[in-house]
Amino acid sequence: MTELQQPLSQLQETSEPLLDAQKMQFWLDKAVAWDQAGGAHAQKDILRHLRGLTDFLKQVLAQISNIGSTAESMKELPFLGQIVGRLCWNPYVTVGDTNRGLLLQCLWGLYSENPSNAVERKANQWIRKVLCRLATEEENPAAEILMKSTGVPPKEYHLRVLKKMVKQHQENIGKTCCPKKSTDPSCRCSCDVIQTTSEAFVPLIDCPEASPVICSLLQHPGTSFTDALSEDFLDALNSTDSNLALDETALVSVWYHSLPRLEEAVLDLLESVISTGSAPQNLEQQVLKTQLPKACAHHCSMFLVVNDIFRSILRQAEGNLVVQSVIQTFTRCFLKELEELEPQAKTYICTFTMNNNLLSAGKSQTSTSLKAFFPQSPPSLLVPLLTLPSEMPQEAWKNHLEWLTASLQRLTEQEEEEEDSQSSRSHHNGFETWFLLVQCSHWVQVAGELLVTSEAEPCSPLLWLLTFYYHPTNRWHCRAAHLEEAKKAWSHLHALSSSSVVSPTADHLQPLITLLSPKPQPPSPAPLLTLSLTVYSAVFCRLPHSQSVEFFHTVVHAAGLHHEAACVLRSLQHRLNEGSCSSSDTVHVRITKLQSTVTHMQAGGNSHTALNSRAQEDTPAVTKLSVKKQPLAHVRPLAEFPHNINASHSAEAE
Amino acid sequence: MEAVLKNVASAVELLAVAAYSDAMSQWDEKTLSRAFHWARYCEHVYTRFHTNSAGRRVVEKQLQHTNARLRDAFADYREVSFMDLPRCEHLLLLALLSNPHLPISTMKILFGKKDVASRYYDYKEVTGLCSHLIQCKSACKVLCPFSGLSAVDADAEVQGEMLMKRLDALLSQGSDPQQAEHFLHSVLLLSEEAAHHSCLVITAALLTASDSGTQTSSQSFLLNWLQKEHGMLQHMGSTLPSAVLKDLARAHGKFRDAYFSALKKWASEMEYSLNDGEWLPEGTAPSLSFQEMVEHFSDLFDACPSLRRNAEDELLALKILDGDFDARGLSVWGDILSELKK
Repeated sequence: MTELQQPLSQLQETSEPLLDAQKMQFWLDKAVAWDQAGGAHAQKDILRHLRGLTDFLKQVLAQISNIGSTAESMKELPFLGQIVGRLCWNPYVTVGDTNRGLLLQCLWGLYSENPSNAVERKANQWIRKVLCRLATEEENPAAEILMKSTGVPPKEYHLRVLKKMVKQHQENIGKTCCPKKSTDPSCRCSCDVIQTTSEAFVPLIDCPEASPVICSLLQHPGTSFTDALSEDFLDALNSTDSNLALDETALVSVWYHSLPRLEEAVLDLLESVISTGSAPQNLEQQVLKTQLPKACAHHCSMFLVVNDIFRSILRQAEGNLVVQSVIQTFTRCFLKELEELEPQAKTYICTFTMNNNLLSAGKSQTSTSLKAFFPQSPPSLLVPLLTLPSEMPQEAWKNHLEWLTASLQRLTEQEEEEEDSQSSRSHHNGFETWFLLVQCSHWVQVAGELLVTSEAEPCSPLLWLLTFYYHPTNRWHCRAAHLEEAKKAWSHLHALSSSSVVSPTADHLQPLITLLSPKPQPPSPAPLLTLSLTVYSAVFCRLPHSQSVEFFHTVVHAAGLHHEAACVLRSLQHRLNEGSCSSSDTVHVRITKLQSTVTHMQAGGNSHTALNSRAQEDTPAVTKLSVKKQPLAHVRPLAEFPHNINASHSAEAE
Repeated sequence: MEAVLKNVASAVELLAVAAYSDAMSQWDEKTLSRAFHWARYCEHVYTRFHTNSAGRRVVEKQLQHTNARLRDAFADYREVSFMDLPRCEHLLLLALLSNPHLPISTMKILFGKKDVASRYYDYKEVTGLCSHLIQCKSACKVLCPFSGLSAVDADAEVQGEMLMKRLDALLSQGSDPQQAEHFLHSVLLLSEEAAHHSCLVITAALLTASDSGTQTSSQSFLLNWLQKEHGMLQHMGSTLPSAVLKDLARAHGKFRDAYFSALKKWASEMEYSLNDGEWLPEGTAPSLSFQEMVEHFSDLFDACPSLRRNAEDELLALKILDGDFDARGLSVWGDILSELKK
């Protein structure tokens, strides 16, 4: 659908009250003044009013579409023809996609397919004439003669002139700055040139041919160079509806300067992952492709904002595995980028893994830079959780997880005690502890693996960790009940995986299926915990492939949690494939078999059981999140963060 | 070749229908797209034959024949020449927009937003054609007040490139040099008002292409033409910034010599005003003050040190011819020399 064919109803929805004569007179005066006056003052006035003009044109359009005929429109909206006609010849108005599109839509709105009177016939003729002149008239006779004599079409000519102008501006910016501009802080750029050029390019912000200059202006985020950019330029970046064709550095700079653009990039990532249901390998590529991890590693403030967006989304979509998976992948990619940028951040983590004294290591060796990136996370847990399992000997995993669980238990108990005394801060801290676990959920996966392979006791801390991951809040004081349910599920699974029964019947599996079904009253643990336990059991148990696949198939099929099972399997597979983490071939074969079972189940449809449809209704776990592209009010402009990270986050907590 | 001629004839007929016939109101998106496809075909024909005299003549003959037939069919018919072929897409656009039967739906396509996801490749090319053109023109106008970043404005630079390309083509065909001269006359000697712009175009043509360090035959031709066109040279000398004149003199010996000759001519036309105690321009000489004249000589000698000694000797000889007096106001050459030596 082109901009000219957008349903007018969309515009009507957002339209304000009807236009009055005063408003029409105001815009007529403006159009006349802009037409007659030239120079810098008029240009500034036009730029200042461009956004207001957009709103006005939207109102005009909405009103025209409500009025039956052009003749009536002309009567109800005095001076409309004059205003539109004059604006069509104002290059500052017609250069931008939005206002040009709206002006053209106004012309279409005034065009009568079947003119019924002289006014409408005259209007039609006028519209045709305006459009023909706009597209074909040449104002420079010398250029026109040369074009004709040399056989160069106007389209090519004007494009070449524009590109040349853009190149000249780009070279001028280049000349303004010394070659070491990005690395040498003592090198000062001429702010005037940046200011003037950024001012000149405000109306051209969505013009693709202008993007080289816009990229050059945005080359060095956070330096004195970009601080000289005009306010109007930054406003235009924020408000343009079009996609900007920018290179990587410029894009990062746009994010640095424009919070809505950064928000849009994060929401676009979430939306694309949710809509495509990417495999983890693809997810990592998808995340890296956005350049967000790299940008965040370079700019702590950006990382803080991105995490604020994630927090907000997580609160809206509790238990959504895809969102959690994006957050985990993003954090991992971010840490890799940070390591390249600041090797010392990694050194702290490595030192930690070499040190057997886990408690003291966690407390004393948290990198200052990491603290800046994770100001709200419990400091004692930061390095132990950010450490990747592949960075630690496998023999140490169990101790590490037990230590992590003990720390988490202690923290949550403390917070719950405070919560009872009505402290809102404790609730906030509880969320932050869990958020860090979501960011580092590789340890949750390791806990699931160890639970099966080490044949842990049902009261194992590992089970507590998994329960906490899926049920972070102790809402209605249900944690104990959730843990009980988890123990029950684990006991069933343990019995199944060590059973000598060749083919477990539905009776054998029924208790497990019952646990997987959603329940209406609290305590109602989401089936995801039981499902994850089932997946870990099916993958790591010692049963032959066929038996493991069979009980997995029966349970997942009966519960109708195909998508969720696939999601857990994909995350697990990705972790096992990653880095130095070597697991046996049997495990990989098993995962592949289980995945093909899920694929088969998904292909076969999932409408066979009542439980299935219920599960789909009740579980927003994987696909049922629609990311709302609305400004997140609690997220503050980036510029505030670098100076006072902790203060701004304290404010957030309040 | 026969097929090519047939296609060219059909494409020209198509242009006529687009401009003058009400049948065009029946065109759907695909027809529109095909029409633009044929317009681009004509552009290829031009590219293929414009440097091939024999081929060009055959195409021109075909065009004459088709034009004659179409003149009979449409009273207001505007003929299509060989030089129109590379601009056929634009001619088609002009034809469509000037046809009162053009359906509004077609207009909406032409003035729409570029739709990259369009199903039809060609249709994609047509969508937003006018919109993009308006955007480019507007963008040039918006950036125009900020020109002056380089010695020559962007539009003059592009026009200079166009001029040289066409001159190259004309000279490479081995055609009559008069044709090339006629071309230069037609595009550069337009009017008094346009003279300054023509100076910039010539400057761009001489400076842009000379980046490689080699003077092309087209530049040489343009310089010869300039030597004959005193008015244009005079205009360049009196209006272009000294930095540009220095660049031109450095890059082209012919320009240096012509410019030096012109400066001598202007100086010779100066008269000493006893009332003002100053040398003033007379006759056809540009209205440069004596001080400006000295600066021109000085800049020229700075740009071309090799010229300085011979030129100073020449000026000295002229001073001697005037009686070799050192008193101010008796010989313009003597006064220029004494200013240059300060």
